[in-house]
Formats: sequence, C-alpha cells, structure tokens
Amino acid sequence: MKNRHRETVTALLFASPWLIGFCLFLLYPLMASLYYSFCDYSVLHPPVWVGTENYRDLFHDEVFWITLKNTGLFAALALPMGMFVAISLALMLNAKIKGMTIYRTLFYVPSLVPGASLAMLGLWVFNGQHGVLNAVLDPLLNAFPKFLHLVFHVPLHHIEPPGWMSDPTWSKPALVILGIWGAGNSMVIYLAGLQDVPQALYEAAELDGAGWWAKTRHVTLPMLSPVILFNMIMGIIGTLQVFTLPYIMFPGGTPARSTYFYTMYLYDNAFVYLKMGYACAMGWIMFLIILALTFTALKVSEKRVHYSGG
Amino acid sequence: MRSRDFTLPLLALGLLLVIIASERVTSPKSEPGPVHIAYWEKWTGFEGDAMQEVVNAFNKKQNRIYVDLLTVSNIQNKTLLAVAGGNPPDVAGLFGPNMAQYADDNAVIPLDDYCREYGIDASHYVPIYFDLGYYHNHIYSLPSTPASTALHYNKKMFADAHLDPEKPPKTIEEMDAMAEKITTFDAQHRLDLSGFMPAEPGWWNWGWGYVFGGRLWDGDKTITAADPGNIRAMEWVQSYSKKYGAAELQTFRSGFGNFSSPQNAFLSSKVAMELQGVWMYNFIDQYAPQLEKPTLNWAAVPFPHPANRPDLADTTFADEDILVIPRGAKHPKEAFAFIAYVQSQEGMELLCLGQKKHSPLAQVSEDFYRKHPNPYIRLFADMPKGKNVLSPPKLAIWPEYQAELSNAFDEIALLKATPEEALKHVQERMQPKMDEYLERLRLRNQKEGRVP
Amino acid sequence: MAAAALKSKHQDPNRQKNPLVLHIALALLSFVFTFPLIWMLLTSVKPLEETMSTNIVWIPSKILLHNYYDAFVYHSDKLGYIPFLVYGRNTLLVCALVVAGTVCSNAVVAYAFARLRWPGRELAFSITLATMMIPFPVLMVPIYALFKNFGWVGTFRPLWVPAWFGSAFNIFLLRQFFRTIPFELSEAARLDGCSEWQIFRQVILPLSKPALAVVALFSFMGTWNDFLGPMIYLVDQKTFTLGLGLQAYQSQHGGTPWNLLMAASAMVMLPIILLFFFAQKQFIQGIAVTGLKG
Repeated sequence: MKNRHRETVTALLFASPWLIGFCLFLLYPLMASLYYSFCDYSVLHPPVWVGTENYRDLFHDEVFWITLKNTGLFAALALPMGMFVAISLALMLNAKIKGMTIYRTLFYVPSLVPGASLAMLGLWVFNGQHGVLNAVLDPLLNAFPKFLHLVFHVPLHHIEPPGWMSDPTWSKPALVILGIWGAGNSMVIYLAGLQDVPQALYEAAELDGAGWWAKTRHVTLPMLSPVILFNMIMGIIGTLQVFTLPYIMFPGGTPARSTYFYTMYLYDNAFVYLKMGYACAMGWIMFLIILALTFTALKVSEKRVHYSGG
Repeated sequence: MRSRDFTLPLLALGLLLVIIASERVTSPKSEPGPVHIAYWEKWTGFEGDAMQEVVNAFNKKQNRIYVDLLTVSNIQNKTLLAVAGGNPPDVAGLFGPNMAQYADDNAVIPLDDYCREYGIDASHYVPIYFDLGYYHNHIYSLPSTPASTALHYNKKMFADAHLDPEKPPKTIEEMDAMAEKITTFDAQHRLDLSGFMPAEPGWWNWGWGYVFGGRLWDGDKTITAADPGNIRAMEWVQSYSKKYGAAELQTFRSGFGNFSSPQNAFLSSKVAMELQGVWMYNFIDQYAPQLEKPTLNWAAVPFPHPANRPDLADTTFADEDILVIPRGAKHPKEAFAFIAYVQSQEGMELLCLGQKKHSPLAQVSEDFYRKHPNPYIRLFADMPKGKNVLSPPKLAIWPEYQAELSNAFDEIALLKATPEEALKHVQERMQPKMDEYLERLRLRNQKEGRVP
Repeated sequence: MAAAALKSKHQDPNRQKNPLVLHIALALLSFVFTFPLIWMLLTSVKPLEETMSTNIVWIPSKILLHNYYDAFVYHSDKLGYIPFLVYGRNTLLVCALVVAGTVCSNAVVAYAFARLRWPGRELAFSITLATMMIPFPVLMVPIYALFKNFGWVGTFRPLWVPAWFGSAFNIFLLRQFFRTIPFELSEAARLDGCSEWQIFRQVILPLSKPALAVVALFSFMGTWNDFLGPMIYLVDQKTFTLGLGLQAYQSQHGGTPWNLLMAASAMVMLPIILLFFFAQKQFIQGIAVTGLKG
C-alpha cells in the first residue's frame, strides 16, 4: 500500500511539468474562452454576460453554415486525396534502390516551404489565364477534340481549362491540389511505419504466390493500419482548421464565399469584427466536432486496425 | 555512471547563460534624455521613407521627445492585441475605417483636450478629412495622409478605338458606350482588352451605390442596403456581366498581375478606364513609363454620373490613414506633440509630398503644388471639397457590413442572384446585427458607467 | 524452416526487380513535387522585372547571384545592423531553448505516463490526447492576456517557456516508445536500489535516443518556421526571428522584391533541408521505433 502511494507521488512529480502546463496554458485559456463564448466580449472591454445568445445567433447565421459546409467539403476532398498520395509515395520510397536518400529528401522538402510562400506560388500556378497548370492542361484537354476534328471532321470546339481562382466550383480543388505538396510530413510517418513491417510476412505471402498488389493489399496495408489511423486523426484536425493557404490566396473567401472556411470566419469574427465571444463559441463548436469525429474514427477503426504488439 | 550525471548540471548552466543572453537582447535599455515614444506604422517602401523623414524632422526640431518609428505589418490586429494586452504603442497609424470600431470599444483615447491645447479644430482641414476622425461628438483620430478617387483613363487606348482622347465620358451611359467600343475579343472569343470593368480594381465594390445616389445607412440606426440607388448600381454592375459574359470577365480579371506590378490591368493597358485613387500616379511612374512618355498618355477626371442625375457629378470617395493614441499609451502628451507636428502645414506637406498625395489641410502652400509631380494633383485636392464626397460609413460593424456587400457584389457579378435579391439579403442579415450591436453597446456602457 | 531457407535466395523482398521503371517514375514525380522549390530558386536569381511578368518567365535571362547578398543585407543601412544575422541569432536562441525544453519536459512527463502507475493515469492521458484537437484561435486571446500579466510581451519568453511544460503530441510520441522498452530492465534496476529518477536517467533515456532525436527535430523545424507566435508576441525589430523577418521583404502596399524574398526564403530553408538530408535515415527510423500506434 505504501509503495503504491510512493509511486503515485513519484509519478505526479514526473508528470508535474505537464500538469502545470496543462492548467496554465490549456485549461485556463479553454475555460476562459468557454466563459467568453457566453459573453459579449471584444477583447478591449470586460466581457458582459449574454447567456446563450452567441450560440443561438450562430444557429441562425447563414455564413456559419456556409463555412461549415465548405470546410466539410474541403476535408472530404483533401483528407482521402492527401492520404492516398502520402501512402503511395511512401510505398514507392520504401523500395531499396540507389539514390533513395535524395528522393526522400526531394519529396519531403516541399512540406518545409513556409505556408505563405506556398500560397504565393499557388497564385501563380492556378492563375486562370496565365497559370502554369492551365498552360499544361489546355493542350491536353484539347488533344482529343483536335484529333476528332482532324480525323473525323467533327467541328472543333475549344475546351476551356477551369478558372481555378475565379470559378466557385474549382477553387476548392485548387486548394486540395496545393495541399498535396505538403504531403511530405505524413509520408515520412508512413515510411517509418513501413520499416516496421516484418519481412517474414512478405516472404510467406510470396510463398503463397502473392503478387505486388496482393502483398500490398493483404500485408502492407493491414500492418500499416495503426499509422493510417494516426495520420487520419491528425488529418481531420488539420484539414478542419485549414487557414493560411486560403487566407492568403482567397482573401475574404472569394469567389462568392466558396473558399470561406470555418477558421477564416472564426478569425474574422475575433480580430476583424471584434466579436471575440462569438469567435469563442465557434471555437468550442469546432472543438466538439473534432472530438466527435475523432471518437467516431477510433470506434469505427477498432475492428479494422491491426495492432501487432499488445 | 557518476561522471555522466554532470551532463544535467552542465546543460542547466548552459541554458541559464542562454536565457541571460536572451534577456539582454530583448530587454529595452533605459537611457536618460528625451522621452522615447513608440510609433507603429503600416507603410513600407517610399511611403515608409516619407514618414521616416517627417519623424526625423520632428526629432531634430526639439530635444524633449524622440519618436521611434516601427514598421508593423498587419497593424490593426497587432494594435488590437497590444491594447488588449495593455502594452500598446504611443501612436498608431491605422486605417480610417478602423476608427469607429476602436472608439466604440474605448481602445483609442479622445483627442479633444489635446486638440484644444494645440488649437487644432475643424477649420484647419478640408471638412471631410476632419469629419472622418470625428465620432459621437469626439475627435478620435487625425489624418496622416488623405485619399480621393477619380476616373483614370488611358488616352492611347481611346485613340486606338477611334475615340477622342480629350473627351472622357461625362455620364455613366457615355462611359458604357465607350467601354463597348474599346473592348475587343481574341480569336477564341476570350476578352483581349476591356474598356471598363466594375469589378476592377475591386476596392469600391461596396460603394457603387453611392455613385447612383444610394445610401448604405441612415446615419443612425438603420441599414439601407436595398436602397433604390444601390439596386440601380448593382443592375449596372450586372449589365456588364450580361453583356460580356460573367465567366469571361472573371477569367480575364484573374489574368491580371499583382496590383503593384507592370502587369496591373490599367498599367499594362488591358483596361482603359478605372476608378483609382491619388496614389495611382506613383504606380504609373514606377511601372508604366510608356503612359507618361513621350506624351502624357493617361488622365484623371471626375468619375461619371448617371445621365438623369446631374446633381451627382464630381463624385469622389474620400478616405484617409489616421493617427490615434491607443488607450494605455504611456506618453499620450508627448505622442500628441508628435501628432500635432504631423498636422502642421510643414509636417503635413513634407509627408504628403513624400507620398505624392494631396494635403488634407485647408491651407496648402503654392510651393507644394509646384513641387508635386502628379499632373492632376489639384483635381484630387479639390474634389473632396465638393458636395458629392463620400466615405465609408462610420459604423463599428462596417467591416462585417462590407464583407456582406462584397459577397453580394460577387453573386451579382457571377449572375447567381438578382441585384434586388442579393441586396435585400444583405439588408435582412445586417439590420438584426446592427440592432444587436447597439443593444450590446448599450449594455457594455451601462456596465462600465460610460455615457456614449 | 521454408521461409528461412528461401531468404538466402530472395534476399530482400523490397528490392526492386526493375529499378529503372521506378527511377523514372520517382524522377518525374519528384519534379512535380519539388516544383515549388525549383520555382523559388529560379525566382531568387531573376532580375526583378522577370519575377512580375504575367507571361511566366521560367529561365532567368541572367543569373543574379548577388540577389542573395542583397537579401542578406536588406535594410541594413536603415536599421544599423545586418537584420539577417540578427534574425538568425534570435531564431537559433529560441530554437535552442525550445528544443531543450521540449526534450526534457516531454521525456519526464512521458515517463510518468508510460512506466509509472498512478490513479487517473488513463483519464489524464485521454485528456492529454484530446488537447491536440483544440483549435488554436480559441486559446489565443486568453493566452495573450496571460503573458501580458506576466509582463512577457515583447520578450522571447512567450515563445519558449511553454515548451518546458510538455505538449500532447510529444508526450504521446515518447510514451509510445517508452512502452516498448522491456519492463524487466526497470525491475532489475529497482532491485539494485535505483530510484525512479536514476532508472529514468540511466536506463530509459540512453535507450531512447532515436525517439528523443525525432522529438528534437520536429520541435526544431516547427520553431524554425513558426510565424504566428513571433508575430503576436515580438514587437521590436531587433528581436524578430527569421520566419517573421521574411515578412519584412513583403510589402503591404505592393512593391515586394520577389527575387529578394525568395532568396531570403531559400537561405532560411537551407539549414533545415540539409538537416533532413543528413539525418533522414535516423529520422525515419526514429519515427519507426516510436511506432505511432494507439
């Protein structure tokens, strides 16, 4: 009994930096913001209690719903895309060939480009008229009609590549594509996960006559599933809070609010409209959404994720 | 094992040294001598240099106060956080439309007493530029540099379209007709040149209603987004989308380079007519010498008015950058001494000449105009004195209102909504917000025992 | 065993049968991926006009290496010192303090979560994980107010002090790793009369170097590129960090010298790229051994 007690004291001593840090830098601000979310608060004057008015207003605030929808759509696009790219890259980079160090570095480095620089670059790449992407896409899109025109004399109709920056339908995909450049971070984590897959499993699969795809499908992916889960949860948290790229590339969420995301609206409310109470209410709702999604992800994955250890 | 345990104390010692070093780098040194006041300003480049010159002149003129100018990006947010944190600069150079918000929130101090002391009053200024800092019977800000707008047009593009370069449009209808003549398409039916685009440069998308006699609020408690003048303006905006194609206009616009580059739509002679401010000259001078030489190929004239509203002639948007003293500033008295110097004819002309703008003061020396490189500077100086001078509403919820109006403009220009629908929608959203804001302001003031 | 017998024949199943195809695929993809970087480097040696042309200029007409020198001494005449050096020193200082704090505090805390038993441990750990999901803007204002009350605004302290109190991600990472170390080692040490601190210092830490290196690297990179923190808390230009200093090349009213901005960005990124290049194997293995598995 006494030993137990001593171990608890020791443990608490070990954990004390975090316990203090948690209370000071997380719990206190979190509780403060919870309180503010029930207040009229502009940062500059003491908060005034208004009850649930902020939450009720949010429910009727159409921009709130628009940003929520945009964010959800973006996450639904960006998350699977990002995971697919990162896993594919990791699989390729796990092969043992010469010069792999260089390839790994090359794929990782773009995720180190500061967000603001990446956004500036995005403006160039996606420019509807003079952008690099459309300069490549235009001939590709029109190759087939041209072929039809030349061979079967079908009347030539020029296909316009999308106006990435100006067309509400294409602005979100533009962001998704840009985000893929940052896939390096999760790629590294997948790569690390791949190093952990026991070689014996592959050998056994080969004995069963499994090809590359079968090995990937039945050995690699199941063994990688805990890492996939980890990255997925991190991805949910990250994509739902997307901010820097759209904030710089599409000020105000133009065109027609198609790129107005939740965190941007939250930021505008907090620091432009000075409605800090309202912003805190938004923050709390986001917190609860993320919590719920993470919990769901964990529950759903419980049976599918394969843990090799204990 | 024993010896290895030295690593920890050594590490701690090293860290201690680093921390001490860091404190030495960051802690301000207190020197005897003049009072140092911190002045945050948003400008960089030649505009920043002009302000630095004024600061230097002030520092040299007397030895009681020394102004430290610091260029701060994202100045509204930073000032806001600094005031909230109780650590603000002594003087902050904000944007005009920030003032109402900051005044309502008690974030800036009223300057009435100081103004009285230095003999600064309304008569010192062109009325609008004083008015922009005057709110609820108090002076909250004084101008640093002013702005006004005019129609800028490209004479060469006029000539190329067989229009008389010396006869700019007087009415909106004339302008639309001329725009049509200038506009050309390429082989793939994409816009090549444009006469005029309501969405370019996009800085006054919220303000077109004013040009048609609309109002955005009644000056008190009522939002008037769906005012007939505003609806008419947006119908005019939409007529361009219908005439040239919404998607074509958008694609064409998205091809323009950075505003501050030779690829700017106006500077690269892509768009012939544009509403622009007094600053445009600087960019022409820097990026488009072909518009100045060998002959002056651009001109600025008052923006056209609707044909049936001659009373709306000479409409101009006036705005200004402002100087404020944040609440909690450590040396408000000294701060104002500096602000007062900027308001003097000497300081103001030095600043405005450096930034190549006009002066907001009622008294301007002939020398100022003689030295000024902008050939149309008198137009920019005179238009704000007229009766059709317009400015963003002094409303604390203006940033949000403006965002709503910009979004409505987008929807109208993309043909996603009729002008009436879009503006009614803005009205329906903003009026409750206005009511709620006023109610909350009342509660706040009640709690703090403040009389607005 | 059949598998063992086969091993000698097959050697390594990950070895590619036709590396040429893979090489080509990787080379093409890596071009797409490094495009931002290539573009950045190209821009950094262009004359200013070519950085702003609407018709993209790919290859600079002349290579201006002195852009790098110009970026290095940008604004020096005005500030009376070479800002790049000052920003660099500040950044290194903050990075050193943050990395030291992150490694020390998280190792200690993770030890408590991984290898000691105490009531409420699982609950505390769940809460710790949940804190990763808090959107930062929610905390920004209360935290700012907190540091202001401490009188820390305008100093480096808001940037590095919190690092000494642990963070959820790193605690999670290290806890996962510490749990893989056999408990028998601790038991043996305990029988030898070691205190928990001695076990931690002399048994666990020496075995955890790869994991600690990962934590150090992640926190170094994060701090090196951090923008929001310095932007909020630093006021005086003399205390700016590199991430924030880059902003000085960007002008709000236009007129940004893009070539200098890109040259400066390249100089800021170079140390991290080199760091990753030389440490990538240890880095990836480090992450592998921490086994980010729930």
